[in-house]
Amino acid sequence: MNKIMIIILACAAANYLLRVVPFFISGGDSIPPYLKRFLDYMPVVALGALIFPGIITSFPQNPTAGIAGVAAAAVAAWFFEGLILPVFASIGVTWFLLQYL
Amino acid sequence: MQTRTISPFVKESTEGIKSAVPIFLGYFTTSVAFGLLAVSAGLTPFEAVFFSMSNLTGAAQFMAINLISAGAAAGEIIISVALLNLRYFIMSASLARKLGFKKAYRKMLTAFGVTDEVFSVASLKPGRVSGSFMLGLQGLSWLGWAAGTLAGVTAGSFLPRSLQDAMSGALFALFAALLVPEIKKSFRPVILAGAAAGLNTLLYYKFQISAGWSIVISMISVTAIGAAIFTDSEEEASMESVEAGNE
Repeated sequence: MNKIMIIILACAAANYLLRVVPFFISGGDSIPPYLKRFLDYMPVVALGALIFPGIITSFPQNPTAGIAGVAAAAVAAWFFEGLILPVFASIGVTWFLLQYL
Repeated sequence: MQTRTISPFVKESTEGIKSAVPIFLGYFTTSVAFGLLAVSAGLTPFEAVFFSMSNLTGAAQFMAINLISAGAAAGEIIISVALLNLRYFIMSASLARKLGFKKAYRKMLTAFGVTDEVFSVASLKPGRVSGSFMLGLQGLSWLGWAAGTLAGVTAGSFLPRSLQDAMSGALFALFAALLVPEIKKSFRPVILAGAAAGLNTLLYYKFQISAGWSIVISMISVTAIGAAIFTDSEEEASMESVEAGNE
């Protein structure tokens, strides 16, 4: 087996372990209030950390295009339900700025 | 219209599939980019598609092919991917609590499909979330990621280069579109997400911490502080913001 397949399989194993272990070690229904809040706040916190600075580093030549794309997605998401329109708005704005900026 | 008795499985998995349509589109467009980049990094089409089918992870796959094309060692790549995806551990812990599945096969099946977007949709969905709903939600999400990769590796030069570049931001558009509805409900998410974004940016640029580590540190520290400061429940906070808005 070549190196790339070994990497893919090892990554798959690591990813699955990270995802499956908590399903089997989560104990009981009585979760301390602090831990409950911790888990409740996690999704929103994660989104913030996932957007910045990733959006800047993914367009090293033209960070403005990436940021404008995310801003377009945010504006679209503010006025319309669903995720489809924001994604297309973002691709459109980023494409335009990469072309003409 | 006549109402027919539909089995709960069909009803709930269909509902899950419907919730996954935007994720499918987001994943499809993003993984087309992954397929294109993977082949240009030296992966065979089979390896690229198998990577997506077996890993189902966004940013880490892009990072992995970056490292592969940079000639990094296998161990380095695997550790980086695991670190970047350490958040799955916390997301799964949160989801396991929300879902409350008892059967082992349900847990094992659902665990495979835990992603940022699936996690956000499932954990923000009010009320009970069934195994059938998760099957529909995760099944179509997985299909989008795998099919997009297949499209990317086969249709190589189909899309103009400029559009491929623009699509690398689609993942972040998805994150933003998931965050905005929360911000509309109350102001607290602005503080939490803003603090995480700020800290992550600071750690990455000022302290030169790798992208994977800085996300992990930001998530854990901001959530830990947030959970210590904001001790009332989210519902109460939403009520307060509504009342404040009426004044």
